[in-house]
Amino acid sequence: MSLAGKRILVAKPGLDGHDIGAKIITLALRDAGADVIYTGLRKSPDYIARVAVDEDVDALGLSILSGSHHELLAQTRTELAARDAADIKIFVGGTIPPQDHQALIDAGAARIFTSEMTIDHVLAELELALTETA
Amino acid sequence: MATTLRPENAAAAAPSFSTPSGIEVPAVVGPEQVNPESIGVPGEAPFTRGIFPDGYRGRRWTMRQYSGFGSAEESNERYRFLLGRGQTGLSVALDLPTQCGYDPTDPIAVAEVGKVGVSLSNLSEMEILFRDIDLSAISTSFTINGTAAIILAMYIAAADKAGVPRAALTGTIQNDILKEYVARGTWIFPVKPSMRLVADSILFANEQTPRFNPISIAGAHVRDAGCTAAEEIAYTLCNGIAYVDELLRRGGDIDRFAKRLSFFFYVHMDFFEEIAKFRAARRIWARLIQGHYGAVDKKSALFRFGVVCGGSSLTAAQPLNNVVRVGIENMAAILGGAQSVFTCAYDEAFQIPTEQSAELALRTQQIVADESGIANTVDPLGGSYFVEYLTDSMEAQIDAIMTEIADYGGAVKAIEDGYIQMRLARSARVKKNQTDSGERVVVGVNKYASEEEAVQVGEVFKLDPGMRNSVIDKFNAVRDQRDNAAAERSLELLGRAADGEDENLMPYLVDCCHAYATVGEMVTTLKDRWGEFQEPPLRG
Amino acid sequence: MSDNPPLNRRQLSRELTAASRATAGQLINRVGPDRERRAYRIGFTGPPGAGKSTLIAQLAAARAESEARVGVLAIDPSSPLSGGSILGDRIRMDEVADSPDLFIRSLPSRWAHDGLTGNVAEMLQIMDRHHFDEVFLETVGVGQTDHAVKALVDTVVLVLVPESGDSIQAMKAGILEMADVYVVNKSDRPNAERIVGEIEGVLALSTGSRRGWQPPVVTTSATRNELGDLLGALASHRAWTEANRDDLAWRRRAERHHVQSVLNQQIAEIAEQAPVELFDASGAEIYAHFLTHLTPPGD
Repeated sequence: MSLAGKRILVAKPGLDGHDIGAKIITLALRDAGADVIYTGLRKSPDYIARVAVDEDVDALGLSILSGSHHELLAQTRTELAARDAADIKIFVGGTIPPQDHQALIDAGAARIFTSEMTIDHVLAELELALTETA
Repeated sequence: MATTLRPENAAAAAPSFSTPSGIEVPAVVGPEQVNPESIGVPGEAPFTRGIFPDGYRGRRWTMRQYSGFGSAEESNERYRFLLGRGQTGLSVALDLPTQCGYDPTDPIAVAEVGKVGVSLSNLSEMEILFRDIDLSAISTSFTINGTAAIILAMYIAAADKAGVPRAALTGTIQNDILKEYVARGTWIFPVKPSMRLVADSILFANEQTPRFNPISIAGAHVRDAGCTAAEEIAYTLCNGIAYVDELLRRGGDIDRFAKRLSFFFYVHMDFFEEIAKFRAARRIWARLIQGHYGAVDKKSALFRFGVVCGGSSLTAAQPLNNVVRVGIENMAAILGGAQSVFTCAYDEAFQIPTEQSAELALRTQQIVADESGIANTVDPLGGSYFVEYLTDSMEAQIDAIMTEIADYGGAVKAIEDGYIQMRLARSARVKKNQTDSGERVVVGVNKYASEEEAVQVGEVFKLDPGMRNSVIDKFNAVRDQRDNAAAERSLELLGRAADGEDENLMPYLVDCCHAYATVGEMVTTLKDRWGEFQEPPLRG
Repeated sequence: MSDNPPLNRRQLSRELTAASRATAGQLINRVGPDRERRAYRIGFTGPPGAGKSTLIAQLAAARAESEARVGVLAIDPSSPLSGGSILGDRIRMDEVADSPDLFIRSLPSRWAHDGLTGNVAEMLQIMDRHHFDEVFLETVGVGQTDHAVKALVDTVVLVLVPESGDSIQAMKAGILEMADVYVVNKSDRPNAERIVGEIEGVLALSTGSRRGWQPPVVTTSATRNELGDLLGALASHRAWTEANRDDLAWRRRAERHHVQSVLNQQIAEIAEQAPVELFDASGAEIYAHFLTHLTPPGD
């Protein structure tokens, strides 16, 4: 349980309404000992960044199944930077085609998680990413 | 029901088997486990064997295909092409801003304009979508929910302007708001006023566009999210009950509106469970409509449903496996008695289907229809010991879940409180854990996977940045050119009608559409009165 | 209150996190005389399901709208199985989404054993240093929590619902008599009037040392966004406190509780970290172990 005590924000940016993946991961993180905040649907990157900062989370997960992952990651990073919080690690999950993974990493995502991955794998990768510096 | 084992084989007994819904599957089922009275005759209560006495001989199922999406102009071109090839049914996917009630200029909407469907922000876009198409000669299906009443009003306004009689219009709007709160997310208003809007649209359609199906109550989305087959039916029928109750509350007559209620579901891979699920659903729905609600017209009790074969049962890995899956599911759909079938393309899990894969999906249905012979007689599995046993078991399980929800206070309360959402999250986790651990086999993924398999790559989302600008330009032009006073007046009248409980809002929405009021404006007028839905806390 | 320096949210946020994770050994260093400027603190307690979160969100938003800088420290229950938690449902509420004068921090109850610990007292002092005008503290439930809340805040609000009959029974045993304002939430439900009557009945019989403050019982309906007389009741108690409370005595009592909880925490940490063989030793040896490990401030 090395996610114990980690504060994690799971967010649904934009208009995408498929939330079962975000809910599954929120519950799994809680059961792994983390303190998780789930934003619910239809949140703007501005709002997400504000909550990430105020709640001082260790990780921010963006759950996106609408195809707008490039734009939403970029907007979220901009909002975090504006709040002096560029150090908060961002994870992108959902329907992310393999050919987009590298571009998202290059754009600042710490890891990409897709729905085929097992929960154990996601938790392990998250834990690893949180121990990495920068 | 206990597994029946012959004592002499007990020592060599296989591990216990059950369906994904948790019904235990005996090694052998015999006549003593079947109740002949519950089987009945096709076309007669309890409708176990089907809603029509002649099954598919009387009418074949509809083979639905999506027409793709893009701008209204591109869709219009595609529709005219398909109609030229003899297709008579069109399906329209809307973009997320239209679905969620935002204008294309709204900041929250801008990134999503035109991405997953057409932007239909006002009547002028609807007119472009159906330019040079005779609305009286086609059937149009809109996958729209939160703004379904508005889109229906817009379609009617387009027909009005084209001089097409409303009574000639055929098609469907999904209009199933309850499942949106739980599994699809294009809700807008709180539950109760949304129910009022759904009822208004159905009652209006019954009268003005009687050939139009004003609702398609869906289990597909909760199923795709991860619930079991039994839960899929139970949650959907509970939603059906909620709609019927609201329609009655708004003054509807069951023998008028019930025959225009239809359903749709997924078909997944447990072959017999899927067949049994549909047979059980027919019985339960008929019992509700004829028994509890006392409808006298037999047509009111007919459980009409469409299905999607594929969805989350398909894999990106070893995609050709999906051809087999869809074929099996298609057969289950037919043996279960579906009225319309959509077969997913085998590559749908990792890209927008190609022409070839879309064609193969259609050929699958045609092979089932014309080569397999399974549709030549009604309910060929009727009387099978196992299928009847499984139908009875599914019925019992579905009933038990429906009772839990009724005891909670019904679908509306359960959704407002987050009870259904909690159940769904739990089932989804169970399913995910079972797949992760390999307990639930997915061939090519957790069994028989190939190590060096190349990751499938294809185009998943269509990106057309130019289209967004053109949509916004057109939107702004409409607002500049319309009679703003008339638009505002129509919105004001809508608002006043929404303040009260007595009036049907549809005529007001039609008037708003005629005045080129936008989707966002109509929604804002209603939001000012009703507020916005607030999701209940996550439990699980 | 607009002459405050602008709120540095990132800075505040990091300080709060550090305070929430501080060990007793670290906290004892910060115990000392109270700051001059202090936010007015309102504690909310009451059983789960009473709608505290929604009520607090609406209240906080209403107060922030009148240009007060408002902070919310909200404690959500940790899972007894995994130790993890789902926090912060309140952050989703539209009322709180946009307000620049409102700051919310959600905490798992794991950080607040049996109610509240020195960490929370420390966090409240951090809010003071960032010039908050009002701070709302939301706790997990009733019972022992109540006493701790009382020591830390100026006004204690107990939120009940028409179904809270059991809680009223507990009140009769003197446990829950110490609130300053009583709220019957979800008052659109049946039995609201009866519960109000029951509470008033218990309060009339109570002989607790309120020194003249008559706790009002107000009804609210958070789902209808009706705060009723709650704002008025809070303003009244604040005015009464300012006129009647011996401020110095109050601060000393609060500081005593603060020190007590930090020391208790430190003792607990020493006990947890001690090799278990220690407890075979004599009482004097065990005591000596504790004394040597108690860290005085400044070390």
